[in-house]
Amino acid sequence: MNGSREGKARVWGRHQKAIPSVDDPGGKKWGFVRSCFLQAASPYTEGVGCKVMKNDLGMDLHEAAGHTSCGAIAFHGDTTTLQANMVVAARNFSIAHYDLGIDNFFAYCVTSFGNYTEIIELWEHEPELREYTERVLEETTGRKFWMPKVSGGRPSVVHASDVIFANIKQIAKKAKFSLDGIKATDHLGCHYAKIFPDESVGGGEFPQLLAGMIEAYGGELVDYPERRHCCGMGFRQCAFPENRGYTAACVYKKMKSLQKTDPDCKLIITNCPGCGVFLDAEQGTIAQVMGEKFGVHIVDYAQLAGLMLGYDPFRDCGFNVKVVPIEPLLDKIGIPYDKSKTPEERRRPFGPD
Amino acid sequence: MGKLYDELTEEIEFDHGMHACMDCGTCTALCAAAEFYDYSPREVMDIVQSQDDDKIRELISSNKIWYCGQCLSCKPRCPRGNNPGAVVLALRRLSVKTGLFAESEKGRQQLLAKRLFGDNMMNRGYTLLPTNPVPSHFPELGKDWEYYHNHLAEMREWWGVPVDLENSPGSARIIPEKDMEELRAIYKATGAVDLMNAVEDGMAKKLGGKEEVEKFWKNWQDTVDTRNYKIKGGKSK
Repeated sequence: MNGSREGKARVWGRHQKAIPSVDDPGGKKWGFVRSCFLQAASPYTEGVGCKVMKNDLGMDLHEAAGHTSCGAIAFHGDTTTLQANMVVAARNFSIAHYDLGIDNFFAYCVTSFGNYTEIIELWEHEPELREYTERVLEETTGRKFWMPKVSGGRPSVVHASDVIFANIKQIAKKAKFSLDGIKATDHLGCHYAKIFPDESVGGGEFPQLLAGMIEAYGGELVDYPERRHCCGMGFRQCAFPENRGYTAACVYKKMKSLQKTDPDCKLIITNCPGCGVFLDAEQGTIAQVMGEKFGVHIVDYAQLAGLMLGYDPFRDCGFNVKVVPIEPLLDKIGIPYDKSKTPEERRRPFGPD
Repeated sequence: MGKLYDELTEEIEFDHGMHACMDCGTCTALCAAAEFYDYSPREVMDIVQSQDDDKIRELISSNKIWYCGQCLSCKPRCPRGNNPGAVVLALRRLSVKTGLFAESEKGRQQLLAKRLFGDNMMNRGYTLLPTNPVPSHFPELGKDWEYYHNHLAEMREWWGVPVDLENSPGSARIIPEKDMEELRAIYKATGAVDLMNAVEDGMAKKLGGKEEVEKFWKNWQDTVDTRNYKIKGGKSK
């Protein structure tokens, strides 16, 4: 066990990003871009993330009304081109810097983070692609090119979960609750750590990002064989019901592996929009099809920060629409909620229908 | 070296994803799609590396290239620095440009992808909209999701993330028209609009006209399964 900890410490030491915290120069003023997936399928995640950053970290957040999706879901769904993504990325960066006066920039979506990181790599390694982007950006929008350099002054952007991680000690210090005595594991979005492992806090094999949050909140970190297996979101795989067996099969593989390794671990922390939705929802499908109930709570890092800081589990953190009911986890942690109401009443503030 | 292979080499994703594959199969061993489907990224890389146009044509006319979930778990594991997921992206672009995507069942789902992700971008500036995950298409999201969906605007106000705000920051806001014009101009100048048009055109050619494409689309919306549309006079792959 100690050997494993030392090994992790060595790996984590080699893979660190210089994400500005609120105590660093410029670390309070941030621009951000929204996630299509979160806006469509779990909007409260961005909501509670912004509340934590503003109210508890004192951050000054800026968002341009005219920024658009990065288009990466359309790219991995094969309806757009890499060239389009490059110019759209440059437009969003340009708006953040020249219209909002932003130097530090994060994405709420892991697919966007991977997309922006890939594009920055291309611009860095192939000057003709950067020239193409600058030219088309100017021709189509009249805007000027700007390259974000968020992590340690080198060309890069970061993900919203990176920003929370950079401030995790401060959040944990203010926390009203802890994960003391609770076993938890992590599930990193594939496009956070696998495309460019060096852009992941802690690297690609055993990322520190969410594991570090679990430990900061006092939880007991669990590892299991299929920890790094994809959730099965798969873009066109989850989007069309006739393909979604793929998604359910990935979730089943992970849940079986976790249950076999540690049946007491009932909490997975995520940082990717698709994982947060489908690791939860497909447990319902599996229960119906296979008759197996895993009851594993899927909690996004922003929801977790919200819960630890005492935000309302339903109104702030949005646990109204999870397939796996959140109450057993709230009871274990000791987070209060209105027990005079039925579970349905807690979830349906506008009456039963 | 064949013409289709030459076209593949024009793709940035191909250039970065395909070096010298040694056929070790590491990608297939860890591939989520290979475990679920009759699919092997090693086989895909092998076919592409053969530079044999007949084999490449058969590949991009089949379901195989559409099985990949684009998780890119293969990229960091390849001992030769290949990126099979990126090669799949290049093959899919070629399949759409040549119209061969419409020859396979999974390929024809591109009409759904275009009308969902693509049209959403062109109309609203997002790939997904709050109104997209309808309970009939996502029954696994459960009864509470259905309730949310029936009270979408109120629930989002209640959560503090109201939708459709105009000239304002916010979740799923209405992006100002001048910004949408810039986005559309980018998509036009960078080949994205051409790619989307190729999907509509390829489907019309395969199904026998635009009216049939609308029937295919309506069938999917109504029955949630493209396989309920029967292709006339031809075998689906």
